Amino acid sequence: MDGEDFGEEMSRRVQVRFVTKLNPPLKVPAASIAIPANLTRLGLSTVVNNLIQSGNPDWNQEPFDFLIDGELIRMSLEQFLLAKGISAEKILEIEYIRAVAPRKEEDASEHEDWVSAVDGSNARFILTGCYDGLGRVWDAPGSCSHILGGHSDAITSVSVVNQEGAESVCVATASKDRTLRLWKVHTEASLNSSVTIRAFKILRGHKASVQSVSASSAGDMICSGSWDCTINLWNTKELAADDNPVTVKKRKVNNQVEESQMEEEAVSTLVGHTQCVSSVIWPQPETIYSTSWDHSVRRWDVETGKDMLNIFCGKVLNCLDIGGEASALIAAGGSDPVLRIWDPRKPASSAPIFQFSSHASWISACKWHDKSWFHLLSASYDGKIMLWDLRTAWPLAVIDSHKDKVFCADWWRGDCVVSGGMDSKLRISSEIPIQ
Amino acid sequence: MGAVDKKQKMKKKEEEERVKEEAPRARSEPEALDGGGSPVDSGSDYEDYSEDGDSEDYELSEEDLESGEEGAAGSGSDQDESEDGNSEDFETLEESESGESDSQEHKGSVRTGNKGKSIIDNARIDDGGSEISESDQRAEESDSSEDEVPSRNTIGDVPLQWYRDEEHIGYDVKGKKIKKKERQDKLDAFLASADDSKNWRKINDEYNDEVVELTKDETRLIHRLLKGKAPHAGFDPYPDYVDFFKWDDAKHPLSNAPEPKRRFIPSKWEAKKVAKYARAIREGLIKLDKPKEEPRFYNLWGDDLNSKDRAGHLAYIPAPKPKLPGHEESYNPSLEYIPTQEEINSYQLMYEEDRPKFIPKRFTSLKSVPAYENAVNDSFERCMDLYMSYRAWKKRLNIDPESLKPKLPSRKDLKPYPVTCYLEYRGHEGAVVSISTEATGQWIASGSADGTVRIWEVETGRCRGVWTIGEPVQFVSWNPLSELPILAIAAGQDVLLLNTGLGNAEDQKKIKELLQVEISGTAGDSDEQPLVSWLQDDKHKHEAIRLRHFKTVTSVEWHRKGDYLSTVTPAGESRAILIHQLSKKVTQKIPFKLHGLPVSSVFHPSRSIFFVSTKKNVRVYDLLKQKLIKKLETGLREVSSIAIHPQGDNVIVGSREGKLCWFDMDLSSQPYKTLQCHSKDITNVAFHRSYPLFASCSDDCTAYVFHGMVYSDFNQNPLIVPLEILRGHASSNGRGVMDCKFHPRQPWLFTAGADSVVRLFCH
Repeated sequence: MDGEDFGEEMSRRVQVRFVTKLNPPLKVPAASIAIPANLTRLGLSTVVNNLIQSGNPDWNQEPFDFLIDGELIRMSLEQFLLAKGISAEKILEIEYIRAVAPRKEEDASEHEDWVSAVDGSNARFILTGCYDGLGRVWDAPGSCSHILGGHSDAITSVSVVNQEGAESVCVATASKDRTLRLWKVHTEASLNSSVTIRAFKILRGHKASVQSVSASSAGDMICSGSWDCTINLWNTKELAADDNPVTVKKRKVNNQVEESQMEEEAVSTLVGHTQCVSSVIWPQPETIYSTSWDHSVRRWDVETGKDMLNIFCGKVLNCLDIGGEASALIAAGGSDPVLRIWDPRKPASSAPIFQFSSHASWISACKWHDKSWFHLLSASYDGKIMLWDLRTAWPLAVIDSHKDKVFCADWWRGDCVVSGGMDSKLRISSEIPIQ
Repeated sequence: MGAVDKKQKMKKKEEEERVKEEAPRARSEPEALDGGGSPVDSGSDYEDYSEDGDSEDYELSEEDLESGEEGAAGSGSDQDESEDGNSEDFETLEESESGESDSQEHKGSVRTGNKGKSIIDNARIDDGGSEISESDQRAEESDSSEDEVPSRNTIGDVPLQWYRDEEHIGYDVKGKKIKKKERQDKLDAFLASADDSKNWRKINDEYNDEVVELTKDETRLIHRLLKGKAPHAGFDPYPDYVDFFKWDDAKHPLSNAPEPKRRFIPSKWEAKKVAKYARAIREGLIKLDKPKEEPRFYNLWGDDLNSKDRAGHLAYIPAPKPKLPGHEESYNPSLEYIPTQEEINSYQLMYEEDRPKFIPKRFTSLKSVPAYENAVNDSFERCMDLYMSYRAWKKRLNIDPESLKPKLPSRKDLKPYPVTCYLEYRGHEGAVVSISTEATGQWIASGSADGTVRIWEVETGRCRGVWTIGEPVQFVSWNPLSELPILAIAAGQDVLLLNTGLGNAEDQKKIKELLQVEISGTAGDSDEQPLVSWLQDDKHKHEAIRLRHFKTVTSVEWHRKGDYLSTVTPAGESRAILIHQLSKKVTQKIPFKLHGLPVSSVFHPSRSIFFVSTKKNVRVYDLLKQKLIKKLETGLREVSSIAIHPQGDNVIVGSREGKLCWFDMDLSSQPYKTLQCHSKDITNVAFHRSYPLFASCSDDCTAYVFHGMVYSDFNQNPLIVPLEILRGHASSNGRGVMDCKFHPRQPWLFTAGADSVVRLFCH
């Protein structure tokens, strides 16, 4: 009787073969095995871990994620096969990848005030902007190497502009005091105490708070979006003092150091949005994408200054990023809990191709992973950061380290998520395996 | 034998013609065979007759008596005529027949009882051997069937059974025996029939013992008869009706005479008759009104409604009829009406009023029925009912309540409108009394009962600044110009014009200039007490102007151009509503008499029109012409708030009893719609600047959002659709939502709660 029961229970089995693109220690034998069809992700992960352990006795358990035909399994194997109409007769090929979730939480980096902006595009440091008007450069979690002082109001956005040689990196900050500032950060100095530096260039021209700044890929220009409904383009080059057409101010600091601060006006202005430009991004040399509170996503041609594409969303948009497949997908979030992804290459592209709606409040930031076509993160006012994979509608991981609203989040070094929010802390969630 | 055969062949021609007559006969033969009562006896008789010549003669004479009369008439003349025509056939017959057979033929022919036959036979008898007369007679007699041919056999209508055992089947005309043909073997007959394609047309004539082949015409005729049609195809049973009484000139009258004169002259006789009747009526001999018949019986159960009483007295309502007695009240009702003992017992457990009033009982006879014990009581009750209770007509309408609902568009089609609360602005320590959004929509200011004013960043909920006023803030209002971010704050007796520090450097410079007051800057007439004192406020580090009123100020409203502002001090009597000019630092009171306590005042969004709402009414003034334009009669108990549609022709008014009135100023001074939505006081109402939305907030902790579409077409009334009830605020000290304002550009609603939180509801 027992045998029969057992047989019945195990009757639904599927022949599977585990394949992977991971490196040898994580590879399992290619032979096909029969596993119960009611296994979920956890069960499959246990099976793979056991298989690895059989070849490598000192193997530590590791969570995996599983793909069938390019889709992540988020239910039991049986349900998945039924839902997708995949035959269980033939040998099923299941690809496994390491589960995308942070394994470690680094020490929080304390700020004086709310952290409003973060940029992790440089692997050597993290750049943050704060409501106290100071920008900060963090070498490592908890160690602040530079303080960028000078803004008279909260910083709203920061961006790493370019790599100037090995040591000096140019960064840009945007602030509610209607200016943008450019700074040079010398990364070689590893002092115990943080160095306060001043901007080498002040960009004036916006009539209202600057909401967003983004550097072009070449690094010679930046663009900024503001509450005065315009997008301004600025030069970042440090012009020689004699041929600088704009006034140069000499300022004495403590009667000792004499520093030159250039002021410069916008190279050109892109006009078209009817409300606050909440986010800009400059992914390709000739195109700028922007989102606005007038419910639209626009693509601008830098040469002509005209908007070539206008996607109407219906909601106020706050954040934007370009990435994904061929760096063409637009991800944007705004005044509702839905992260929308558009494909502007589609002819009728006003409808989003993906909508992720697990958040509970406004989405404040979204960033594509710069290596992966599938992964992106989103931060929300509900205090959560979610990692998404286009291959499933569920979030891969939810980082719940912040106590209150999260204002900014970015990838750092390819495997970390840095985020800042209302709790005045920069949180770093590391060891996220994205191959 | 041989002679008979020969004769058959010779007669073939005739036989073919005779088929028509013979076919029915052949059919009737079996009957004849069966029908014979005593064939043996009669057969023997027949033999006797045939042998006995005398008896035959006797019979013959009898036949002669009958047929002689018929034949007599024409025989004399016709015989001669037909001698030359038909004689040839019969002569040939005669030749073939021997003389002996004559007598036999004679005898045989006598037997025919048939009339036609007898005629033929008579003819033969008449002249012994000559058939001339016979053929003549036949031609004469049978006018309808000319092709009738006498049969070969002459036995007449006797059963054929009689000849069954004989060698002959009968006798021919000459009296010779007609021999029976040899019977064909069945098999041979069948084979022959199979070979012969015409076999289906062949009929065996037993009477004459020969096979007759029907012609095509004959078969066709038979088919027609079988179908019940006329025998000849040419016969039309339904010929067209020929109307012989129609002719072409029928329209003309029969008589062409002119109308006589008497037709046009009134009849003298009739005049006499009328005069006679008229005289009779005048003298009263003829009564025109028939006396009305009194109804013999009073309709006890009839309806009183149609009675004359009602026509006389409109207010009269007939008494309701008592219930008619039913079967159960009979003295001897059917058994099913009688309750069982258990049922009667169960009545005792019921409530007094549920108990049945009457319990049926059975009595064997009327004699044994006792007196009704409740008779007096019942009639007393009835009289009391009729006397005491008043009667009224009730009109009942069968209307589907659903059909009374107005047809409203679906809420889905009216998006966007605020639905969900995503952001909260926390920081105040007392009830947030008033909020105001900055013109660009980036900032929102809130004034609280804890004596502070805060400015918040809309996007993040960050508090940008806190100003401690000292007194509970009554009202905050931003200057409508985005380049002049000056906040007007009403707190206590003061109105503070505060520089919020927003705007760029140029704006700041301008603001600072505006907010400078000379020391001597007091407005109003010099000899009288000034209306308000314009003071430079030095308490705050930011520059501000303090406008000191002499009574508590409750509301501050800016003019759209940002230079004028109006303040309301309800207890101010003639100086209750003041208009201040910021650029010149002057104050003036409105030149209108107020009727009642003022509640709030609003500037028209585009024209120089000023709305003042008192507790009962809203008055609309033209500031240029300085006169009253309109008075809006709200019909509300106490107006609490007022808002003007951005186009200026529609006004909503909220009241302390929870009612919301929409006025269309072009339509009338009465409310176009009154909405009873809130259960407690409405604290504020608001219109959206660009979206067709308006909202009301109330002390019942809710805010209602409505779709309020105003059409540019004057013929179309505004469309008002309730959209959403926004909840979330907690009640504090009996107060709920204190203020609501729309975001200037987004379909978002800010609500200020007594629970010291400002909430943002997004679409």
